Amino acid sequence: MSKFLFSFSIALFFFFKAGAQPPGYKNFKLEKDNRPIKINVLYKNKQGYLLAGTDEGLYKFDGEKYTRINFSNPEYHDTVTAIFADNKEKYWIGFKNGRIANLENNRLIYFDPEEGTPKKKITAFLQDKENNIWFSTNGEGIYILTARRFFLFNAADGLKDENVSTLMLAENGDVLAGTDGGIYICHFNNGKKYASVIGPREGLPDYIVTSIIKAGKNSYWIGLEEKGFCLYDHTTKKITVPVVANSWKPGQVNAMLFAQNLLWIATKDSGLYKYNPAAAKMDKASVVNADNNINCLAEDNQGNIWMASLNYGMIRTPGESIKLMDIPSHPVFEHIHVVLCDKVGNTWLNNEWNDLIRIEQKNGLLSEKKMRLNGLNEKTDITSLYQDNYGNIWVGTMGKGIFILDPVTFKYRQFDDNGRFKNAGILSVSGNKDQIFVSSLQGSLMIEPGPGNKDINNQFRVTYYDNKSTGTNYIYSIFEDSKGRLWFATDGLGLTKLELNRFTYYNNKEQVKDDRIYSITEDNNGNIWFSTASAGIYKFDGKTFTNYSLNEGLSNLKISVLKKDKAGNIVIVNKKGLDILNPVTGNISYLSSSQGISMINAEDIGAVTTDTSGNIMVSTMTGILTFASPLNTIQKPTVLIESVQLFLKDLDANAPTTFDHDENNFTFNYTGLYYTEPDKVYYKYKLDGLDSSWVVTTDRSKNFPKLEPGNYTFHIQASLNKNFRNADEATYSFVIKQAFYKTWWFYLVCVLLLGGIFYWYIKRRELNLKNIERRRQETIQFQFEVLRNQVNPHFLFNSFNTLISTIEEEPRIAVEYATELSDFFRNIVTQRDKDTISLKEEIAMLRSYSFLQQKRYGNSLQVNIELTQEQKLENKIPPLTLQLLMENAIKHNAVSKETILTITVTIQEGFLEIKNNINVKISKAEGAGMGLQNIISRYNLLTNKTVKVMNDGKYFTVLLPLLK
Amino acid sequence: MLSCAAFGSRNRFSTAKSGLKYILANLYSNQKPMFKPYIIFCFLFLLFQSYRFPATAVYNTNNGSISFHSDAPLELITANSKEMRGKLDVDKKTFAFIVKITSFKGFNNPLQMEHFNENYLESDQYPNASFSGKIIEDIDFSKEGNYTLRAKGNLQIHGITQERIIKADIVVKQGTISINSNFTVLLADHNIAIPKVVHEKLASEIKIEVKADLILQ
Repeated sequence: MSKFLFSFSIALFFFFKAGAQPPGYKNFKLEKDNRPIKINVLYKNKQGYLLAGTDEGLYKFDGEKYTRINFSNPEYHDTVTAIFADNKEKYWIGFKNGRIANLENNRLIYFDPEEGTPKKKITAFLQDKENNIWFSTNGEGIYILTARRFFLFNAADGLKDENVSTLMLAENGDVLAGTDGGIYICHFNNGKKYASVIGPREGLPDYIVTSIIKAGKNSYWIGLEEKGFCLYDHTTKKITVPVVANSWKPGQVNAMLFAQNLLWIATKDSGLYKYNPAAAKMDKASVVNADNNINCLAEDNQGNIWMASLNYGMIRTPGESIKLMDIPSHPVFEHIHVVLCDKVGNTWLNNEWNDLIRIEQKNGLLSEKKMRLNGLNEKTDITSLYQDNYGNIWVGTMGKGIFILDPVTFKYRQFDDNGRFKNAGILSVSGNKDQIFVSSLQGSLMIEPGPGNKDINNQFRVTYYDNKSTGTNYIYSIFEDSKGRLWFATDGLGLTKLELNRFTYYNNKEQVKDDRIYSITEDNNGNIWFSTASAGIYKFDGKTFTNYSLNEGLSNLKISVLKKDKAGNIVIVNKKGLDILNPVTGNISYLSSSQGISMINAEDIGAVTTDTSGNIMVSTMTGILTFASPLNTIQKPTVLIESVQLFLKDLDANAPTTFDHDENNFTFNYTGLYYTEPDKVYYKYKLDGLDSSWVVTTDRSKNFPKLEPGNYTFHIQASLNKNFRNADEATYSFVIKQAFYKTWWFYLVCVLLLGGIFYWYIKRRELNLKNIERRRQETIQFQFEVLRNQVNPHFLFNSFNTLISTIEEEPRIAVEYATELSDFFRNIVTQRDKDTISLKEEIAMLRSYSFLQQKRYGNSLQVNIELTQEQKLENKIPPLTLQLLMENAIKHNAVSKETILTITVTIQEGFLEIKNNINVKISKAEGAGMGLQNIISRYNLLTNKTVKVMNDGKYFTVLLPLLK
Repeated sequence: MLSCAAFGSRNRFSTAKSGLKYILANLYSNQKPMFKPYIIFCFLFLLFQSYRFPATAVYNTNNGSISFHSDAPLELITANSKEMRGKLDVDKKTFAFIVKITSFKGFNNPLQMEHFNENYLESDQYPNASFSGKIIEDIDFSKEGNYTLRAKGNLQIHGITQERIIKADIVVKQGTISINSNFTVLLADHNIAIPKVVHEKLASEIKIEVKADLILQ
């Protein structure tokens, strides 16, 4: 018993002001010409987008940059003082000059009712239960826009103070208006208006109300100009003033926000405050990079709190979800192996000399106590700290076994089980109400403290597990699950389970790539999760092991500890930060350097603990990090297609999604909204209809030029890692129509048209053939006529008589005559088959014929051919036409010395004119005009001009169309 | 009570203030000159008022023009009256305008006018239409210039009173306040029923245009 070592260490107390640089703070300046733009109001829309109303117009903010939303004239801007989206997602933007605008296709358009718009600053909008839109003004009271028209709620209706700064819809349908004269409770029903006031007489500490936000069921936080804030219960109409607001110093309350179970209060003169209603405690929030005039507050979907200050733009803070505690004496970070938060909220850790340090936080001040356990030096590391059910702290060391310390009296002793574990290398200490589990390099043990062990001097009941039971003596940690089973994390033998005194060994080399297990935890569904030395983490559902590694989105494989947080997430502590894995969805979010998390010593499984509220504490290079998973937040990017462009011109949101074949160049602009780490968002897109493969990118725009006609759907997903299994998705479907010349009906029309043309051609050809046939018959008939005439006995008889009479008298002329006669007949025979011959040839034939006839009639027959050489060559004529006409003329007229027959051939205006004078024979010649009729028919087949025959009693004229 | 009798209406001007009452009363007195004791009372009332508020400057008109348009699919009806009376108290920013329904002229035909008076507006029962109330904006009428103002008031037509905000263009020049205003009246708001037969001939929205030059009394 004398071996117990009692020691009072030299207590060294240090006092420091709490307040290391808060992690996760970041400001995003909004400037114009290097001068800050004042942000008057922040608004989060349905999709989680933050909108900022400023002195230079309306901006949307995606976490990285501001995009101005313009009027159609981008030069134009007004000071935005109120932003609201109604339940149909119609936006109402109020301006300082009293005007109001709506938002259409990302453009502001003035709201311009017949009644006109106010001249005083618009301060707030609201939609009541009848869907009327209310808007308050600073000086004109409240306007109510019903489906039909405007109403004005002002002094005449009981709203005695017309300077209204804020509106709130109460649960019973009343509207609470914060005015310069208190809170007015406004009723509006079918044009009837009633108002009653909650002012100083009713207990309101101040006249001027600056903001109203919801506090609980039918109760509201009221922000005041001078007197801070108070709570208003609309059911009882009672005002409660919190103690901290009784003598309010920070000045005018500009805005309030309830988030993370705290009331955040933005003031005009002294920055941001946080009030904890449960504890009735208020603290000033340490805000880096902000001036003291904070105009407005908002909470994003990831649980970050945003404030806007004049000179620093929008400022992001994780609020209470990430806290960093500076260690006043600044031990060397690499040597901090253990962190423990005890039951009264003090933090314990070691330093490089293996002193034990206790940090106490009181009224914003840190005090540090340092002690050296006897026998420990800088070479005997402290490896684990654990506080048992009776409040004693167990200190595991490398080489000196375990010490038990009373944190109140600071008395301690070395745990001594007859030397067996006295100088052991302890790796971890954990436990539950009745048991303490110790793992070491020499095997493990279970200690069962009883009520008597409140006194550290008393002995314990101890059970040993050696390599015969756990498989190996080298155990990193021991975890007890919700069913009371013990899981041993072994070095090299995987998991070992102890259930009802039976050991089971899970060393599945096929499924688990690394069998050095460091840390074990359990999710809310009873699955066991464990981390390995190099292969990431595994989920074990009792049958199969599922690996989560870099491909699944882990940021780093140097993992020390797994812990389940309050929200049920598995928090993975690695060298670079914390990966927060939702065990149900597999979604992973991150705490990393971008939120101010510095290096973590990933060798130390003892440097992670859970505080009294269930938050996770980790030792980092810049202090002790406390992480409280924000509840009811979205820890993955929300993906939005911001605009679709056709040839780089924005399409209207409501525009039809069917396009012509030449409208084929599409650009999609998208955003994955994730305000915690907007620059870490990966995108994956696919265009159904073009290709079926996903493409991962960090670009926020994708262009598809020259799309073929077809049906398309653009899919876009956003994720914080390259694992998109759980990613949010947005789509846009559209159709590009076929060109008309590629459509089936166009083909049909073409086929029909071609068919028609072919049919018409065939028909015409048939007609042509018929014509040719007819012409041939005409020609044959004509030839027959001519031949019959020429072989007419009279002609031959006359010709022969002429020949006989000439032979004796003028033999030379007779020969000539016979030659002409034979020429004439030969010409008839040779030319008759042709459709046309030149006029010259025809004239030659006519001359032969007239020679023959003139021999008979002498000067009584006169033939005048008045044609030039060109005319004869240029024009054509069916053969034997002239000869036939001359023959007709001789046949039908008396030819004698008294009655001279003159035949003239000339060209008159495109016609060949054959004219003869008429001396009608007494005895009519035979033939019923067959020859002339024949000529007319032949011409009809050759040309569309007709043959004209004129008989004026004196002259007989035939006009033949000239053929070329 | 007096104003009520003079109106011959079933609604009181409940929100009219004392100054307004006087203006209205004065207006109605002009309309019914045969009612002599009433005039005397009004005169006394006026004296009393001017005694209490010596600075009150009231502008007034007796021949303001008011016209309406009904642009129905089948028929365009327009009519106008040049007998609108009005008063404007530039200090209190209160005003009242009134017009006799029977003074509207210029219908497409006499039958239409008869229908208008007898069937729709029932001018026997509700002889007047009026608008009275207060100007919302702060304005100094002593300064010449062009202004666009809005007024909140009660519009009474067909015996039904409705709260309206009406915008008007105002020109102040050489002691005259010229008012020009366009607004819309929904027949349903004033209980003016349109028989189905004339549904295509009468619009449910009637466009009104008012023009008046008010001079200092």
